[in-house]
Amino acid sequence: MNDRERRDFEAGLAQEVDALLRGEPTRRTFITRFGQMTGMLALSGPMLGAMTDWALAQAKLELADPSTPLGKAQALALAASIEGPTDGSAYRAVQAAKQYSGVTLSMTYEAGLQALDPRNFSGPMWEQLTGIKSNVVELSNPDQYSKAVAEHIAGSGAFDVLDISPAWTPSLADGGVIAPLDDYIKEYMNPADLEDYHPLYRALPTYKGKIWGFFDDGDMFALYYRKDIFEDPKLMAAYEAKFDKKLAVPTTWEDYAQVAQFITDQMAPNVYGAGHFRKAGSPGNQFDFLQQFRANGGQLFDDNMKAQLATPAGIKTLQNMIAANNASIPGNNELDAVSLWAAFLTGKVAMIYSWPPTGRMAANYSQTATAINFIPQSQIAGKVGYAVVPGNPEHATGFSKALSADSANPVAAYLFMQWVTSPPVSLARVMLPYALRDPYRLSHFKSELYADLFPGAKDYLRTLNNSANVGLLDPIMPGAQDYFLSLDRMATSVWAGADPQQALETAAAEWDATTERLGADSQKAFYVEFLKLPGSTADNTVEKLGQAVVID
Amino acid sequence: MAETLATFRQMPLRHPRPRTAGFSAWCDRHFKWLLVAPAVVLILALSIYPLMFSLVVSFINYDFQVPGHAFVGLKNFERVVFDPVARWSLVLTALLSFSCVAIEFLLGLAIAMAMVKSFRGRGLVMSILIVPLFISPVIVGQAWTLLLQRPFGPTNYLLTQLLGQEVTISWLTERPWIYISLIIADVWQWTPFMFVILLAGLTSIPPNLYEAAELDGVDGWQAFTAITLPHLGPMILLAITFRLLDAIRLFDTIFIMTGGGPGTQTYTASYYLYTVGFTQFHLSQATAGSWLFLIFTAAVVTFLVRRLLKAEVA
Repeated sequence: MNDRERRDFEAGLAQEVDALLRGEPTRRTFITRFGQMTGMLALSGPMLGAMTDWALAQAKLELADPSTPLGKAQALALAASIEGPTDGSAYRAVQAAKQYSGVTLSMTYEAGLQALDPRNFSGPMWEQLTGIKSNVVELSNPDQYSKAVAEHIAGSGAFDVLDISPAWTPSLADGGVIAPLDDYIKEYMNPADLEDYHPLYRALPTYKGKIWGFFDDGDMFALYYRKDIFEDPKLMAAYEAKFDKKLAVPTTWEDYAQVAQFITDQMAPNVYGAGHFRKAGSPGNQFDFLQQFRANGGQLFDDNMKAQLATPAGIKTLQNMIAANNASIPGNNELDAVSLWAAFLTGKVAMIYSWPPTGRMAANYSQTATAINFIPQSQIAGKVGYAVVPGNPEHATGFSKALSADSANPVAAYLFMQWVTSPPVSLARVMLPYALRDPYRLSHFKSELYADLFPGAKDYLRTLNNSANVGLLDPIMPGAQDYFLSLDRMATSVWAGADPQQALETAAAEWDATTERLGADSQKAFYVEFLKLPGSTADNTVEKLGQAVVID
Repeated sequence: MAETLATFRQMPLRHPRPRTAGFSAWCDRHFKWLLVAPAVVLILALSIYPLMFSLVVSFINYDFQVPGHAFVGLKNFERVVFDPVARWSLVLTALLSFSCVAIEFLLGLAIAMAMVKSFRGRGLVMSILIVPLFISPVIVGQAWTLLLQRPFGPTNYLLTQLLGQEVTISWLTERPWIYISLIIADVWQWTPFMFVILLAGLTSIPPNLYEAAELDGVDGWQAFTAITLPHLGPMILLAITFRLLDAIRLFDTIFIMTGGGPGTQTYTASYYLYTVGFTQFHLSQATAGSWLFLIFTAAVVTFLVRRLLKAEVA
């Protein structure tokens, strides 16, 4: 240290000493407090997390009035878990899971209403039965895929149970993100419970001969229509006079557009013939296009995996959809799924086709839950009929429960999946007013309790079952998101005035680019696997395979 | 002070800490580095590392649907460059951002000119005017969707009443109305930003300049062009630069109001990158696109900042 440095040092030291003697903060106290503050910040994260976990763990099991159908279904689920039958999947899962008491299972769920079931019902009930806690991770729908993959790549073991779209099963299975369940099923499940799935859904989680999950949400489109309008004598007479046939619920897409146009001509602006969710990405036009395209005989790919969209079937489909749009409520092309519900529930639209919650909302059952009060009260309760969508209805997305391959507690996670999708527990879940899980088991469709849930529920269940008999599945293969996006872009561009043929060719080119990116041979192998599933084409439905389920 | 120091040196050490003395001395020597270390670590961890990692990702396969992370060279960049949707999104980003900023500037300037002089209720009016600034763009998008969406939105009804003939505009699905809707939403939210900055600039112009001009017989327009604009120049450039940097990231209102549709007609660069990355899961392509977008943005920023600095020097 030279003289200058020494002088500077001593001057600085003197200042510090003076400050110390005056009781002012010094560098040392600053460093100490800074360290304390940093430590507190570091601790605050985990503390906040722990407090949040604690707060969420305080969520109590919400049970309905025991005298109601839902209350009875919940009591039955509880009894099946505690008392048996002892060979039932619910009972066996609970008994086997008790040894994992204290474990916490992380499970992904779509954010919002979907997550209310594990938070308010199945999660707390499972904890009471087994001592296993649940940590519900709410994610947006795309994140349910991307987060699962990202956490697998990171090897974090962040999730135990994954809620996935069946379309993702092949890529998640091949990517090692999810684990096969066959060995667990053999050890813990009553095989009869697998037979309780509707045939359309039974094979959905099966890929390359293994079972990769339990199907858990029957997202089948159905047609919901105003019975009072279709049974109006004046309208019936006018329709017959004009078209020389009876006014009836349409069974072809040409009829659908014609009936919609007739109702609009007769009743607008009070009521319009139809409405559709046509807004881009909300949730998209791909489902409607796919169901009509395949009902019109369209094939998705040829033998060389070239897209077959720009074909007469594609043109016919778009022309039918345009005709339906023209016959619909003004602003049809701007509607999303929720605003379409609003249009139907307020009586502005005579026909819509959508997911099964439509029936529960139309009967004002869903609106009994405060969580779903953003949906308007139904002004058409008691006036709604249910029918199979013309041609073949789409099973649009749906959910399967899958076991994360990185789970630290795979057996406990599996047992939860088995329990929560078991016939008695799943019945109680699909009956929850706020849940968006829809019936998918034969025991759901035949349930007397569900039939008592709201007036017309028996017809509703029969229609959902019949729809599944002739229903079509979304393509289950990698790149499904890309294919869907191309269809949605194509459709919305046509609604905005683009030439249908040109739009179809653009979409086909995008499909081919996607196929090429993912590998044509690899995609072909996936497509061949998909074609084996019932519901992959209009010629391969459950009904055409002779497996149709009849509900009295 | 010297006395104090001497006294202090004679004071016995109550807690001799020979083992930490070396550490303390080290801390004293490197005190300035210790102070900046947390910030440096944070920047490295949260900015530099992700940036470098994203650069790596843009040259490899990082796709949630294609296993492996093989080196692919410029393939990801090529996919973006030859994607017509990407090119259109860039054009639309430029068109929308320049249109929005131009309108916001003109309106903001007009309002600032009107508000520069004190009048009764000025404080209340100003408070109301700047409210949109505090609203999340997602909420703004949702609010305008509710106002414009057919058949429930009241806009067409109000226009019908005003014009005396039926108005059936599809504001969210029909060209050019869809672009007008997006511009309206953006202008409604961000004009107050321009207004606030320009008002600050206007109030800093010395009033004696206007008094002198008035004595010289200068009319209002001449005063505006000869006094107001030159003095307001740096503030105008600042406001436009800030606003333009924000406008080119337009995403939220697109996401809520149009979902990018119809077709890809309302894909901005941000929306395109989001779709590729988080709807289609082509992360490496989205990352390459982000770098290209960054380069374009950097060019604009550099140009504007240089103009800004030049204005300051002048």
